[in-house]
Amino acid sequence: MAIRACLGLMILLFSSTISTALFEDQVGLSDWHQKYIGKVKHAIFHTQKTGRKRVVVSTEENVLASLDLRTGNIFWRHVLGKIDCIDQVDIALGKYVVTLSSGGSILRAWNLPDGQMIWESILQVSAPSKSLLHALANMNVGKDNLILVFGGSLIHALSSTDGQIVWRKELSTNSLEIQQVFQPRDSDIFYALGFIDSSEFVAYYVNYKNGEVLQQSKASFKSGFCGEASLSSNDVVVALDASRTYLVSISFRNGVITFQQTYIPDLIPEFSGKATLLPSKYNGILAVDIASSIVLLRVKGVNELEIIEKINYPSAISDALPFSKEQQAFAILQHDESRIHIKVKFDTDLTNEVLKETIQLDGQRGNVEKVFINNYIRTDRTHGFRVLVVMEDHSLLLVQQGEIVWTREDGLASIVDSTTSELPVEKEGVSVAEVEHSLFEWLKGHFLKLKGTLMLASPDEVAAIQAIRLKSFEKNQMTRDHNGFRKLIIVLTRAGKILALHTGDGRVVWSVLLPVLRESETCGNPFVLNVYQWQVPHHRAMHENPSVLVIGRCGHNFDAPGIFSIVDAYTGKVHNSLVLEHSVRHVMPLPLTDSTEQHLHIVIDDNLHAHLYPKTSDAVKIFLDEMPNVFWYSVEVGKNIIKGYSLEIKGELDMAENVFQPKELWSIVFPSESETIALTATRKMNEIVHTQAKIVADQDVMYKYISKNILFVATVAPKASGEIGSATPEEAWLYAYLIDTVSGRILHRVSHQGAQGPIHAVVSENWVVYHYFNLRAHRHEMSVIEIYDQSREDNKDVWKLVLGKHNLTAPISSYSKPDVTVKSQSYFFIHSVKSMAVTATAKGITSKQLLIGTIGDQVLALDKRFLDPRRSANPTQSEKEEGIIPLTDSLPIVPQSYVTHALQVEGLRGIVTTPAKLESTTLVFSYGVDLFFTRIAPSRTYDSLTEDFSYALLLLTIVALVAALLVTWALSERKELREKWR
Amino acid sequence: MVRSNLGQDSFRFDSTGLGLVTRAIERERGDFGTRIELKRTRRVAAQHLLIRPRAAVKRSAASLVVIVSSMKLALLLFLVLVSNFLPSSLAAPSSSGDGYTITGRVKVEGMTSKGFGVSSKLLNAKIILNGGQSVTFVRADGYFTFHNVPAGTHLIEVAALGYFFSPVRVDISARFPGKIQAALTENRKALHELILEPLREEQYYEIREPFSIMSFLKSPMGLMMGFMLLVIFVMPKLVENMDPEEIRRAQEEMRTNFLPRSS
Repeated sequence: MAIRACLGLMILLFSSTISTALFEDQVGLSDWHQKYIGKVKHAIFHTQKTGRKRVVVSTEENVLASLDLRTGNIFWRHVLGKIDCIDQVDIALGKYVVTLSSGGSILRAWNLPDGQMIWESILQVSAPSKSLLHALANMNVGKDNLILVFGGSLIHALSSTDGQIVWRKELSTNSLEIQQVFQPRDSDIFYALGFIDSSEFVAYYVNYKNGEVLQQSKASFKSGFCGEASLSSNDVVVALDASRTYLVSISFRNGVITFQQTYIPDLIPEFSGKATLLPSKYNGILAVDIASSIVLLRVKGVNELEIIEKINYPSAISDALPFSKEQQAFAILQHDESRIHIKVKFDTDLTNEVLKETIQLDGQRGNVEKVFINNYIRTDRTHGFRVLVVMEDHSLLLVQQGEIVWTREDGLASIVDSTTSELPVEKEGVSVAEVEHSLFEWLKGHFLKLKGTLMLASPDEVAAIQAIRLKSFEKNQMTRDHNGFRKLIIVLTRAGKILALHTGDGRVVWSVLLPVLRESETCGNPFVLNVYQWQVPHHRAMHENPSVLVIGRCGHNFDAPGIFSIVDAYTGKVHNSLVLEHSVRHVMPLPLTDSTEQHLHIVIDDNLHAHLYPKTSDAVKIFLDEMPNVFWYSVEVGKNIIKGYSLEIKGELDMAENVFQPKELWSIVFPSESETIALTATRKMNEIVHTQAKIVADQDVMYKYISKNILFVATVAPKASGEIGSATPEEAWLYAYLIDTVSGRILHRVSHQGAQGPIHAVVSENWVVYHYFNLRAHRHEMSVIEIYDQSREDNKDVWKLVLGKHNLTAPISSYSKPDVTVKSQSYFFIHSVKSMAVTATAKGITSKQLLIGTIGDQVLALDKRFLDPRRSANPTQSEKEEGIIPLTDSLPIVPQSYVTHALQVEGLRGIVTTPAKLESTTLVFSYGVDLFFTRIAPSRTYDSLTEDFSYALLLLTIVALVAALLVTWALSERKELREKWR
Repeated sequence: MVRSNLGQDSFRFDSTGLGLVTRAIERERGDFGTRIELKRTRRVAAQHLLIRPRAAVKRSAASLVVIVSSMKLALLLFLVLVSNFLPSSLAAPSSSGDGYTITGRVKVEGMTSKGFGVSSKLLNAKIILNGGQSVTFVRADGYFTFHNVPAGTHLIEVAALGYFFSPVRVDISARFPGKIQAALTENRKALHELILEPLREEQYYEIREPFSIMSFLKSPMGLMMGFMLLVIFVMPKLVENMDPEEIRRAQEEMRTNFLPRSS
């Protein structure tokens, strides 16, 4: 009885602490948040006015941001929708940022100081085509300025104050692509130059006030045009012909169009291959990219081109910056090993440089990809220039006066995959002085903290307390700790860069731009896939560093050759790097290690052949022993088939190649007219389950069906495979399957009528939780399926146990077909979900929480107990004691249980959990455009004192007690003496 | 019957760009939700409209309006308006390829209707259609618009840090174009106008209670001290209140119990 009472009390304690909430002053103690923007596509400086100098950028992650030019910090930022790509950015009226997005169909204006959206206009687009945005500057001073948007053959003119369409003009019925727009000074007209069907050049003279075409001239060119046209002066345009080997200068003076072709090799003898025009707007100068270098040409009239300068690769050239009435400045950046030379020139005088600077870069940023230039006036009234540089690894640098003012590691906005690595073991020999010092600091810190709790601290001291807590030396050390909180998060970004982040404060410990993942002749279009743990030394942890395996692919097709690279996890040194001879379809880390503790990996290529890595005879020997136990499956989403395979050796095994053939064991074909595979999910390979038995009310036992081979498959009706709103409840359904991947046995199948995707699921222990949309109720739903092993049910009979007739020691095998029972339940969930994960702890004892990345880019921790299928409306007393929550139709959202608290992980894409050494604690890393890391304790930190624990108060209490003891002892002595005198 | 005056003034051009027409729509609430009907039409000179401040237009703007945004339809509508002939069924003829426009408003307590005094919290508010299909932002006056939405049942969610908004179910009828219904999915409350208000403000942090004697006393250390003090000061008093005879007896008892053992 006492035990039961005790249990009840414990449950009461636990249920009262469902949320592991945070106090506001605890922010930043165990978590960190980093804001990024992604690879910059466009940048516009806003530095004319006094006040805050800023640069407005749009990026490949669909982020529009305003950055502080002094520090690189974000003033404001907006993340646009996934398909809402920003095409163009401009500044109108000096106070609005104008963005053109969604293929030229949405024009928005944002307030420059605070990023508030001012207006939004929808534009008609005839066909997907390149669109141009042109804010007519200085046109009607004082009155409304117009914004021109060119999309295909349509021109829209919009008022920049409220976004109303002032006029609209369709120029041509054919597929017109406007290439250049310019406006002669002090006139009412503008020129629009473009190509019709890529074979006809056309020039329009349009009155900007009403869109009237004043004059129009056309001329066809038989060999056709390709790509962009570059305007070189007020009446000459240069374009490339369709073969990209001729430069075509087009003169359109007074409506008369003449063409003049120049064969590029005549101009540049070493030219071969194909040329590209660089979009630039220099007066009379043309920049041509010919594979090996950038060539600057001066256009002298229609038929005369002259080489001015050749800039060897790798280099980059900026757009023109209007400097004075006649002059334009531009910047040329050229690499010289790890240095970059920056030259700023005027287009009127190319022989002299206005500015020549050299900066030193660390070698892990790659080549310069884009340059944006801006000028400023120095204190001595001379002109200075600053350049914003976008590097190959997506990082952003601001260079001014030969120095890098700030850098932003924006490659971290596009993380593809991540893994964790332990830190080095602490080497022995810590000095006594250090310990004394840290002890003193520790005591001091605690006394300050005590003052804080007793509300005696002055504001300065409060600040000091916060600083001590945030910059705790202990959490940022580069060695392993007892609790396992300190780790390295190794992330792989889309740019092919690997970075190691420290879990303490999120700083980058090392970063490597993998040479093998950079564009080269052998590998045209490298594409990163995954990162795995390759070697985790335990026996020789003091002497050997762990390493990670990076897998990539040359090109986006499945048959492209794979890339394989091994990187040291402590230093970022590349141990081994190669382009494989076969393709990479799946990579399977095996739970086997060879004698040097390298993990065995199987790479399945496009022909379903299995390649074993590392390619050593040792590894083969170990693998051959385990080969009969290796099963794998492939999901062919397009064909609606799931197939299971084992491996076999056909003929002699080539020890140098280690190639194994697949042997098909089973296949499940879903009827394609009624189902399409929407999602598959499996348990994490490294998940640890503490116990198979689950004690339910009245000392009853249920046995969890725990198998590593459970595959969760969700299929939806083909009609309802699109977005919400595209299907009616009648034509939508969802089937959830639990499949054993060794035998192909379908353990369970359940249908949800009127449900559709997007589906998100997590599989853990013996349960699956999946999130989908219920069209009937028009709400999101989360369902749970728990699966129990029925064949072990009769073990509860004591007599059988006594007589030894139980099957508890029977091995669990997928070959045996135990009876399973399934319990399931569905609950409403209010938000759309972007990503889902489950907490993982070292021993699997701690209860689980689901981590749900909501549509608002927050991460919610939801206790698994809310998703218990045994919840009922009126739980019995014993069920209550067990901790079953009364049934509700929807899952509660407690604001305090957001692990991201008052922060957002913009553009959330993934949540990764890693167990700490401390059983109660899980490390959570979520990434998207932003990064967020924290550690959470799903059942509170029952195995350690919290951060809040006041040692000083404990000391003070003890001192007070001792003092009280002494005082009372003295008092009693005196009293006794008095008694004796009496 | 509740009537609310509203009307989104939408501007349309004919192909020559000369005439400018505005239409005011009066919405009527029926038993089955929200029906949009064109009640009266006005022909307003372009000049007049341009002078009219935007804020004024906004104030009378509809909160829940469906506009057929195909140009052809607009032209048709224009003709219809010019002829001053308007059967209600023509409000939005058969659904066009481009779809409809949903306009709504996010309203947060303390946010002034005057516009530019928007609370900074709403600056980063996002309005999400169908779980991310398209994302739009809130203007200074709280309005937002989704364009080219096809007929069907849609879900609108508001992501604003610090507030809890219920998702909204929006039905755009294909059979009766222009008919639109909206309801909060959380409490099934029907909305007559698409004005989204937070159900509650969200507090992401636990409130730290200020230091008080009680909370100190309740802590383990406090309990320990309290018990000690109790033993030290209260126990002797208890002993004093006891009958002296009884104490003597007890002492004797103790002595008799003790002595054999100590000896």
